[in-house]
Amino acid sequence: MASVLATTHPTDTVYGEVGDATVPLRFSSTSEEYGVLRERAAVIDLGGHGLIEITGPAAVDFAQRLLARDVEYLTSDRCMMSLVLDEDGQVVDQVVAFGREDGLLLESSCGAGARLLAHLRAHQEDGVEITDRSGDLTVIGLEGPYAWGVVGRLIDAELASLPFESVAEATWDGVEIVFARTGLTGEYGYQMIVPIEAAAALWTGALEHASPAGLEALELAMLEVRQPIPRHEATPGATVIEIGANWLVDITKDDFVGKDAVVEAFEGGGGRRTVGFTGCAGVPAPGTRVQAGGQDVGEIVHAVHSVGLDATLGLARVDADLAAAGLDLTVGGLSVTTLTSPYIVPKSWSIPII
Amino acid sequence: MTIDELRAKAAERQQTCSQIKKMIVSRLDLEIEPDWITDDQPLFGRGLELDSLDVLELYVAIEAEFGVALYDSEMAVFGSVSRLADEVNPALRATA
Repeated sequence: MASVLATTHPTDTVYGEVGDATVPLRFSSTSEEYGVLRERAAVIDLGGHGLIEITGPAAVDFAQRLLARDVEYLTSDRCMMSLVLDEDGQVVDQVVAFGREDGLLLESSCGAGARLLAHLRAHQEDGVEITDRSGDLTVIGLEGPYAWGVVGRLIDAELASLPFESVAEATWDGVEIVFARTGLTGEYGYQMIVPIEAAAALWTGALEHASPAGLEALELAMLEVRQPIPRHEATPGATVIEIGANWLVDITKDDFVGKDAVVEAFEGGGGRRTVGFTGCAGVPAPGTRVQAGGQDVGEIVHAVHSVGLDATLGLARVDADLAAAGLDLTVGGLSVTTLTSPYIVPKSWSIPII
Repeated sequence: MTIDELRAKAAERQQTCSQIKKMIVSRLDLEIEPDWITDDQPLFGRGLELDSLDVLELYVAIEAEFGVALYDSEMAVFGSVSRLADEVNPALRATA
């Protein structure tokens, strides 16, 4: 699935295949775009996120069964992030669920729309309609310590100070859009769900006040605040507990697909846990072994070069009794130190919305 | 360090984190087991979804439980349970 904005983006934009989507990885350089995201305001093409509508008389009950968080009372002015699990407790996707008057709208993670859609349809029941809206709607994001200023100039300043995970119907240039205060990077963050025929104009309008950032800068900034990135972290066989995504599951909820497996993993203890690390030269590949005191204790899940730290930053999945910050471990023969999250303090935490 | 020394060091942090989690759940009357909170998850907005009133509650609770006053601290100290552990048990930070 190519971005609907592909014809709007510069010809030298670097794209990458992520799941079922072709997305802009970078428009200029990752470090430059990261700087924009952490210091000013970035506009992000989130067209790789699938949009799936769940409607019908049984829509809410169905969503309540399929989503790991409690969406029974998700009104049309709220959204929330949740995991979707299979019966074995494995992560199918990490979604943003938007409450709608006639059901819910689910936004998949990058490149996971087709897989999410197949999973939902495999569990479909009477009274539920599942509609893929990815062909007529797309998502544009704004992230950064001054993203609120862009919202004010682009649409309406009042929208900028909406509480976190609030949703509002808004109008831009005569086009109805769904506007949400969200955020993936710890900075002020917003999302606009827009009809694809208006997307290019909205994107161009946003560029008058912000600079574009691609997926590489976005995912780096997400990693720095431990925002889970399912395509990197939900490795085959890993439980929610091992991934450290407990907060995207409402364990007290009566029932949902995958709950029994999650409870079993939680009550069983043991296993491995995910911890951040820095150090070592270069970027170790996923699967690289991690040693402690000469013994094999786990493996690398995901690592990148952090522009903010000017060092390697990554996640390791290690024995539970070694998953703590401040330890000196060895990766591929090189020393690393485990870290306390967040690894970068977002500028937005000290900047008020004016 | 030997693996046993590393495990002991990890256990010290995990013990402080566990104490903080119990304090948060008890003080804010949350309906989850303390261990369900992870050391690294966000606490405000995302994650545990605490708000500014909860922060005030935690200031008081942390001072009562650990004898540490965080009233003038930046929000970053509430970045995660593990980050709070650095504040309430400086010995962890000194060796981190």
